[in-house]
Amino acid sequence: MAGIVLQHVMKTYGNMYAVNDVSFTVNDGEFVALVGPSGCGKTTTLNLIAGLLPMSGGDISIGNRVVNDLDPKDRDIAMVFQNYALYPQKSVYKNLAFPLQMRKLPKEEIDRKVQDAAKLLDITHLLERKPRELSGGQQQRVALGRALVRDPAVFLMDEPLSNLDAKLRVQMRSEIKRFHHNLNATVVYVTHDQLEAVTMADKMAVMNGGLLQQYDTPANVFSNPVNTFVASFVGSPAMSLIPLEAAGNSLRSPEGWELPLSPANVRKAAGSTTKDIVLGARHSTLKLHKSAVPGSVPGKVYTVEPTGDVTFAQVFINGAVVNISLAPSVVIAPDEMVWIEFDQDRMHLFDGATTMALQAA
Amino acid sequence: MTTITESAVRRRNGPDWWRWTGRLFLVLLLGFTVMPMVWMIITSLKTGFAAMQYPPQWWPAEPTLQNYTRLLDPSGRIGQDFLHYFWNSLWVSTITTILAVVVAVPAAYAFSRFRFPGRNFLFFAVLLRNMFPAVVFLVPLFILMKALGLVNTHGSLILTYLTFGLPLAIWLLKGFYDNIPIQLEQAARIDGATRFQAFIYIVMPLSTPGIIATSIYSFIGAWNEYIYAYTFLTKQSQMTLPVGIQRFFSENATDWPGLMAATFIMSVPVVVLFLVLQKYFVRALTEGAVKH
Amino acid sequence: MSSVQGQAIFRDVPGPAPKQASLGQRMYTSRFDYLYIAPALLVMLIVIAYPVYYTIELSFYKTPASLSLADKTFTGIDNYRTVLTSAIFWKVTWQTIIWTVLSTLFSFLLGLGAALALHRAFIGRALLRGLLLIPWVVSAVAASYVWKWLYHSDFGAIGALLNQIGLTKGPVNFIDNSTTSLYALIVVNVWKEFSFAMIMLMAGLQTVPESLLRAAQVDGASAWQRFWHVTLPQLQGVSTVTILLLVVQNFNSFIIPFIMTGGGPVGSTQIWITHIYELAFLRQNWGVGAAYAVLLFLIMMVLGYFYVRALTRGDDKRAGA
Ligand SMILES: Nc1ncnc2c1ncn2[C@@H]1O[C@H](COP(=O)(O)OP(=O)(O)O)[C@@H](O)[C@H]1O
Ligand SMILES: [Mg+2]
Repeated sequence: MAGIVLQHVMKTYGNMYAVNDVSFTVNDGEFVALVGPSGCGKTTTLNLIAGLLPMSGGDISIGNRVVNDLDPKDRDIAMVFQNYALYPQKSVYKNLAFPLQMRKLPKEEIDRKVQDAAKLLDITHLLERKPRELSGGQQQRVALGRALVRDPAVFLMDEPLSNLDAKLRVQMRSEIKRFHHNLNATVVYVTHDQLEAVTMADKMAVMNGGLLQQYDTPANVFSNPVNTFVASFVGSPAMSLIPLEAAGNSLRSPEGWELPLSPANVRKAAGSTTKDIVLGARHSTLKLHKSAVPGSVPGKVYTVEPTGDVTFAQVFINGAVVNISLAPSVVIAPDEMVWIEFDQDRMHLFDGATTMALQAA
Repeated sequence: MTTITESAVRRRNGPDWWRWTGRLFLVLLLGFTVMPMVWMIITSLKTGFAAMQYPPQWWPAEPTLQNYTRLLDPSGRIGQDFLHYFWNSLWVSTITTILAVVVAVPAAYAFSRFRFPGRNFLFFAVLLRNMFPAVVFLVPLFILMKALGLVNTHGSLILTYLTFGLPLAIWLLKGFYDNIPIQLEQAARIDGATRFQAFIYIVMPLSTPGIIATSIYSFIGAWNEYIYAYTFLTKQSQMTLPVGIQRFFSENATDWPGLMAATFIMSVPVVVLFLVLQKYFVRALTEGAVKH
Repeated sequence: MSSVQGQAIFRDVPGPAPKQASLGQRMYTSRFDYLYIAPALLVMLIVIAYPVYYTIELSFYKTPASLSLADKTFTGIDNYRTVLTSAIFWKVTWQTIIWTVLSTLFSFLLGLGAALALHRAFIGRALLRGLLLIPWVVSAVAASYVWKWLYHSDFGAIGALLNQIGLTKGPVNFIDNSTTSLYALIVVNVWKEFSFAMIMLMAGLQTVPESLLRAAQVDGASAWQRFWHVTLPQLQGVSTVTILLLVVQNFNSFIIPFIMTGGGPVGSTQIWITHIYELAFLRQNWGVGAAYAVLLFLIMMVLGYFYVRALTRGDDKRAGA
């Protein structure tokens, strides 16, 4: 097992950055999720760690060894691909045996390791089949098996679950987590699904446009997003963001209403570079009222989605969509006027110009 | 009950009018295609005298294999020459095919996988080869072959034939490689293979149908080629079949049954080869060439 | 080592766009890529680049019949003037157009019909497809001899057949007759190459999504409407490539007219390529022949542009690494 260090890693295509000055450290045995919207550079970053692409700049080390110029085969890594990349002409057994054959292990040892991995993943009965004769979930297990069979220093996984149906995805999620726990493996796990990242990872690296936005534990990323991008990307439903203007001790809406701020929040708002401030709030911190109460702002109900134990509503406030969760007993209808009360201790303020989170001075 | 629904379905689809037109069309087309070949075979079973009758014997009155035995008899002069031409054709076509694959595979792979400067231009240049008719290059190539000392050798033909096959071979194979996910190679490289091993163990087996298809194409092209063989070779001993049979039969009056028998023997190898492997050819066209 | 851990590393302004590496640099970094294509390019270069250069050069000179290049004299565009003003130029060009257009049209239509009729699975389909493909596989030399024999004015099977069923009286001249010879050769050409169109279009038909046809059927489209609105548009790409290839191939045909009629009788089957051959090899008129060839290159380059564009359609969407 080994840790991974990325320092100022760059990858350019023509005159565009696919990965722009990314640095982070994965400790030995840690499960790190690389998360961000499609096209943000996750796969590229992972391929750079794997050595499948030449870097345009920076350094990568795996287990205290700089690997910049090493071939993938010499980096002691295993990788699971989004479309599994099982060798279509080889049986499951041969797929699992291939990495061991390439390392010239003796036949008996190959057989033993393949059987062990197959048992671990419960695919022993599939060993003679070809990949196309397997279901998506089974292919996924074989791909995982091919990575496990060699016990490498580092596991790299590129959206390994995104081709599975929802139910299987949840099941495999916990299985992968279990493997990580049992093997105490170092894992870099790429996903565009923030829920996967939050539920599985020890740390998450949020990327956007080739840039690393925030690198922290899921809990910290969730409660202290560094900017509006991270705030709106992590959490479901997304954090609601309302563009407003600072006006003394309160925030003013172009619609006319004002929201008074607590002293702590007034100090935060004072740090903004311009008067523009974005107010952020998670659905669970909001309260809905049918009439005006102090510290509440008016809005109009857009949709109501009962899910059983909780009802989600979307409310238009100042032209922005605000998500709010309600007890199932609350009865509201679309187009109804409502008043939303904010929790001053759990609201987020962002600089409207730079999109950065505002901290108390 | 069932009859009612069936006829209702049929009426909705039209009274199978389409299917019957299709069948009729196929029968007529088959006639058009096959009749000349049948007549070739029938003629080849006649004596020279029987062939020159009017009205023709639609079926040979006294079928004979003498035309074939004469061509294939190694002790006669005609048989000797003919078999010689046959071996020359086989040799030239086989070497051309092997070289075409050896040259086309890496080129197609590079055009599919790499993005080097000039890639598009070079790919276009390769494809454009087929736009040039053989005849206009006869003189310069003859001079070139003379300079290279290749006139009257099979090397001159192999070198030229190579370039007929290459554009299509590179294009077809590139289509195959385009359809093989790059992740398979990446997986292999992570599993411990070098780039070359990844290609040999993973990519090559997946592109076998493409390689077979391009081999057939190169082989048939070389086997059938006439113009360069006609120009570059003047020695009897070097000639390939298409040129050889011509030298044979137009000396004085044409021996039509003999010519038809020679034509038949000349066509057998390529037709058999193609019929046996045609599924690869169709598959290669579907997977490689006809992009989705 | 862990200086950045757990920290917010956001940079609000993305760095400046990276400088694009210079052409030389990029060529240097991908120098090993060129090794893969080097053999192919070398062969192509020898067999194409030199002849093209040579032909262009010849076309501006008057070269003696012996083809002794030391004695050639520069004549500017005289050869081109000779080509374009000669009476036979327009006759040959017109015949080339008829030959190319009719051959292409009928090959394509027969091929399309066969592909459609063979698309539905039935017993013996593979065999039928194989039989129909034979003419495409046999050599043009073989095809020419067989058809020459079929067309034979005294003992030809076709003429005899027409006489027996009473359509004609007496021997029929197909290729020894300047009014029918060109069309008789077109029939041979179509026979030889319609199955190329068939196999291309069969491959194309397999890519027509079944779901689209089903959807059209559900929407109430008749068989004809499904063909016209679903199948045909899907075949557009393959059809373009096929037709272009047929046009190029037909424009460049040589063997069938050369062996069957040698361009005759009275030049009635002379097309560009056979004419170039005649000028150069039979009359040793190298300069004029080369001028024809250069004009032909120009036409081919125009066709080639469309051909390459059709072949490489969507090529850049598939990115490699
Ligand atoms: N071979 C390539 N050539 C040019 N651009 C590329 C190439 N591969 C990826 N990119 C670009 O780099 C960016 C990052 O891609 P990627 O890492 O695949 O994103 P993600 O995995 O986060 O969806 C994208 O904008 C993509 O278009
Ligand atoms: Mg990706």
